[in-house]
Amino acid sequence: MSFSKLNVLLFGIVLTLSCLNAEPGEITANQFKDKSSKTGSSRSYAFQPLKPIQPPELDNPIHAKNDLDRFILKRLNGLGIIQNSFASSSTLIRRAFLDLTGMPPGRNELAMFDDLASDRKWSELIDHLLVSDHYGERSARYWMDIARFAESSGFEHDTDRPLAYHYRDFLIQAFNMDMPWDRMVRLQIAGDELAPDEPLARSATGFLAAGVFPTQLTEAEFEQARYDELDDMVQTIGVAFLGFSFGCARCHDHKFDPVTSRDYYRLASAFVTTVKSEQRVNVHSDVFQKSFLQWETKRLKLMKAVETANDDQLESVNKKLAAHDKSKPAEGKLPALICSDGVKPLSHHADGRGYPHFYPHVYFLKRGDVDQKGDAVSPGYPNALKQNGKEESHWVTKISENSRIPGRRAALSRWLTDANNGAGQLLARVIVNRIWQQHFGTGLVATPNNFGNQGALPTHPHLLDWLANDLIDHGWKLKRLHKLIMTSSVYRLSSNAGNPSGHSLDPENNHHWRFSPRRLEAEAIRDSMLAVSGLLDRQMYGPGSLNENMRRRSIYYTIKRSGLIPMMQVFDWPEHLGSIGKRTSTTTAPQALSLMNGPLVEYCADAIAKKYGPENSESLPHAITVVWLRILNRKPVDIELQASADFIIRRAETGIDKEQPLLSAFTEFCRALLSSNEFLYLP
Amino acid sequence: MNPPFSVNTHSLTRRDMLKRCGGGAGILGLAALLSDEFGLVSLPANTFRRGASSQPLLAKPAHFQPSAKRVIWIFVNGGPSQVDTWDYKPRLEKYDGNTLEGFDKFTGFFANQVGGIMKSPFHFTPRGQCGKMVSEIFPHLGRHVDRMAFIHSGFTESNNHSPALFMMNCGQARMGLPSLGSWVSYGLGSGNRNLPGFVVMSDPKGRGLPKGHASNWSAGFLPGPFQGTWFRPNGQPIQNLERRQGVTAEDQRENLDFLAKLNRAHLENQPHEAELNARIESFELAFRMQVAAPEALDLKHEPESIRNLYGMDQQPCRHFAEQCLMARRLVERDVRFVQIYSGGNENQKSWDGHSDIKGNHSGFALETDQPIAGLLTDLENRGLLDETLVVWGGEFGRLPVAQKASKPGRDHNPHCFTTWLAGGGIKGGVSYGESDEIGHKAEVNKVHVNDLHATILHLLGLDHEKLTYTYNSRKFRLTDVGGRVIQKILL
Repeated sequence: MSFSKLNVLLFGIVLTLSCLNAEPGEITANQFKDKSSKTGSSRSYAFQPLKPIQPPELDNPIHAKNDLDRFILKRLNGLGIIQNSFASSSTLIRRAFLDLTGMPPGRNELAMFDDLASDRKWSELIDHLLVSDHYGERSARYWMDIARFAESSGFEHDTDRPLAYHYRDFLIQAFNMDMPWDRMVRLQIAGDELAPDEPLARSATGFLAAGVFPTQLTEAEFEQARYDELDDMVQTIGVAFLGFSFGCARCHDHKFDPVTSRDYYRLASAFVTTVKSEQRVNVHSDVFQKSFLQWETKRLKLMKAVETANDDQLESVNKKLAAHDKSKPAEGKLPALICSDGVKPLSHHADGRGYPHFYPHVYFLKRGDVDQKGDAVSPGYPNALKQNGKEESHWVTKISENSRIPGRRAALSRWLTDANNGAGQLLARVIVNRIWQQHFGTGLVATPNNFGNQGALPTHPHLLDWLANDLIDHGWKLKRLHKLIMTSSVYRLSSNAGNPSGHSLDPENNHHWRFSPRRLEAEAIRDSMLAVSGLLDRQMYGPGSLNENMRRRSIYYTIKRSGLIPMMQVFDWPEHLGSIGKRTSTTTAPQALSLMNGPLVEYCADAIAKKYGPENSESLPHAITVVWLRILNRKPVDIELQASADFIIRRAETGIDKEQPLLSAFTEFCRALLSSNEFLYLP
Repeated sequence: MNPPFSVNTHSLTRRDMLKRCGGGAGILGLAALLSDEFGLVSLPANTFRRGASSQPLLAKPAHFQPSAKRVIWIFVNGGPSQVDTWDYKPRLEKYDGNTLEGFDKFTGFFANQVGGIMKSPFHFTPRGQCGKMVSEIFPHLGRHVDRMAFIHSGFTESNNHSPALFMMNCGQARMGLPSLGSWVSYGLGSGNRNLPGFVVMSDPKGRGLPKGHASNWSAGFLPGPFQGTWFRPNGQPIQNLERRQGVTAEDQRENLDFLAKLNRAHLENQPHEAELNARIESFELAFRMQVAAPEALDLKHEPESIRNLYGMDQQPCRHFAEQCLMARRLVERDVRFVQIYSGGNENQKSWDGHSDIKGNHSGFALETDQPIAGLLTDLENRGLLDETLVVWGGEFGRLPVAQKASKPGRDHNPHCFTTWLAGGGIKGGVSYGESDEIGHKAEVNKVHVNDLHATILHLLGLDHEKLTYTYNSRKFRLTDVGGRVIQKILL
């Protein structure tokens, strides 16, 4: 059974959103539920071209900080809901830091941005965060869920892929350098073809290589496994970039959306000779230097071994040294797991039994069965995603006949990102929605991986299209999009749910009258704890670790599919099998147990207490205040200060630590702050 | 800087301590200083009272008088073959080796390995008063057929493990919906405040989790506390269950009271965030679980006679015997819903007998036959069976035709499978519905998975059409738009 079949299941739940106040031309919930859509007669909004949209006029535009707000306010005004006022500066700084970097601000940053009431200061803060290296780490981690990225093959053996981390490093660097999204997409599909000499470009194709693949294969399974591998690529490209599940079309024409089975196989055929391979790629200089250092250290050891070897050993030691010299890292390059054509495939258990890795043609398969082959197909794209009568040849660039590069993926990537004639408009809608979801917890389309007729409808279709147009018009720059969203007034709203009009008319906040707080993801919880306790090792890039107690950011955990990190899992780390558009967020007793008894909070609380506790402070209240500010980014109010001091004193009296009762009690106080809802939620 | 505080201070009064803490007393105010309880009068009286607010897991009344209070579901993972277990088909012997005319080879998973009709490798004999024909792989369970109601006409909507598992657990063949156990927890709350209301146990022999993993006991869009609690199969069943070294229950109680105060003050500003409240509740549950869970799962004090009744003295079934005995101890403590998965993920690691159906099914039967029989006996002896529903069933059945292999197996069959129920409210010794003459498709009185769910909810006193949850403006229910209670198997 293939894991890729799972992808078919990764539809979100069909949400019937209340489409109050439907705008002209908007598809309503009733139309959406209409069975006639199954005939394909009514095309999904997602396949319709972007319309040029003007932000609506407001009677009273005073609350609109930018054009984005006009869409939101127009709806709220129509519903008679009054938007909340802005959150406090201490809430806003925390919100912005956690949101963009996955960690709270440090002391200097708190001082630098202590008053965010002015638009100028707020804008400066956003700029400050967008140039932080941690922005790339945060963004990369979001995308890794969507890219079903892991560092092992899955299935029974779950073989390690020790060179897969280069794709993660590509993501971090690409997000940090603000690589335009269309280019980032093209490189992930065809970086090796489009820009083989460009640093990062080949690492990007790790995207294609990240899916599961069986280690054990019988001869009878060879061809099926290859089609499963192609399916994983096509399916992931579909849901990740276009919010569209091509996978169903493997066996039958799409029931709900305008994609045929033939479309599916034509997409797959772009990858006909594409294989996973280990190739030397440009890497970040830090990673290279570290690797080079390791190589040199080992060489010194081997040299010493040669010196001390006796006659019997000499030959074998010399051989080792020679082999080691061959593996010398050079030219800033290291081997990485990528995908390409015409290269040596990644070795596989079944190589000895003639596993071919790929077949010369992709056939149209009846009901997905390799024994029911139709004709061989050539690359092509669904008609619904081609505009202006353009044919496939439009995206093909002639490549010299000697080239080992067939250019099929390059052509597909151009089609995918072509906003004029190809799928680029849908691509823009999907990424705009994902970024919206990053900031607000839920996308304008609540099913980020499913923009098809089975997915949710956009709550604000005009805003979605306006943002998509804006992204395309401004060179697909994501940092600009982040800033646009974050400098709106809707992003700065207080989360207070007591607003009577909002609470009664829109309790679920579908229309953004307030900011919905949400629990931080596993990574952000752990990284924040390490950051506020001063234990965080900020070293970026390079091989990850399976050691749960390492101190680097969580993005540097090695993702082994059969050995997921328990602390991360308990806070809803995904399974990394198929693309995950939105993680679940649960509240469970095991999470509480992890905070009460687990090692992470323990050593973080210890570190904070030792460094900032009363022994190193002028007074207990002062120590409480310092720690409070550090962990929760605000000063405690009197009543909290009272409560904390009372707790610490009582615990110092009753605790079992008679050696250092106060330190021990203060540690428990730090633990409570680190376990508190205020710490665990993005406010 | 003031002198360090690492002097021996345990004899100091709190007042002394405060003084030594460097002038804090002025800020702190006398009321708090002198009060044993938290005398913070400026906050509403209920703010700091423990557990005063809404508690999602508090027991709730059923819609009507239930005949079962709790459920143990033995999930026969991978898809047990109906024709080799409970659905005796003598015609298979007659047709053995023949091609099944008109068979759609895409019924199962491996379209290219379809063989001829294959008789069961097992011998069937009549058992119990009712004379039910039972496969030889269930010598112990065969003694209990007069307590069981068999449904031979089950069918489902997917031929693939994870969607079929989601269907059987969550009512629809897709990911992200609440599971039956979560719906029951939501409908009835937990009978025991110190243990999770819904417990899941998986294979402890390293054969993995059922396909789809935690989605099978997910709360979906229901609030988080209704999610199933997965007991880790080895070591401590619940991670981080043990208190840190040197921390007593009293210490921890004080710590958690302080945390709850912080959290309730925080909640004051956002009273409508149900999730924040649930997280407060989760710490209380976790605190109680530290004591209650080890006690409930400690089999040391069970007498040898009981341990042996379940088969704990038998190597092949010891692991499952332990899980069944734990399940009894849990339902005895009013845990509402316990699910035990027999087998790991797929193929030979579960009942997914694609090859060697004989070896596969006899092996897993050997692991489970005596433990489940022991469980039924034990529940009966304690007077618990009348109010405990025991369910035996997997995500789909298997085909009457062979899956070709050197030792033939059987492929997935969504069209037909057998489930049995026993205990709380179930009529014993009856069979409901029929499959066709070779057990290929359900034929008479077909039972959809929604029907099975409706019946289980009915036994628990819940009307499946009334047990709804509004999510994003739509009322959802476990049985979606289907579900029909199978009255004929009820007492």
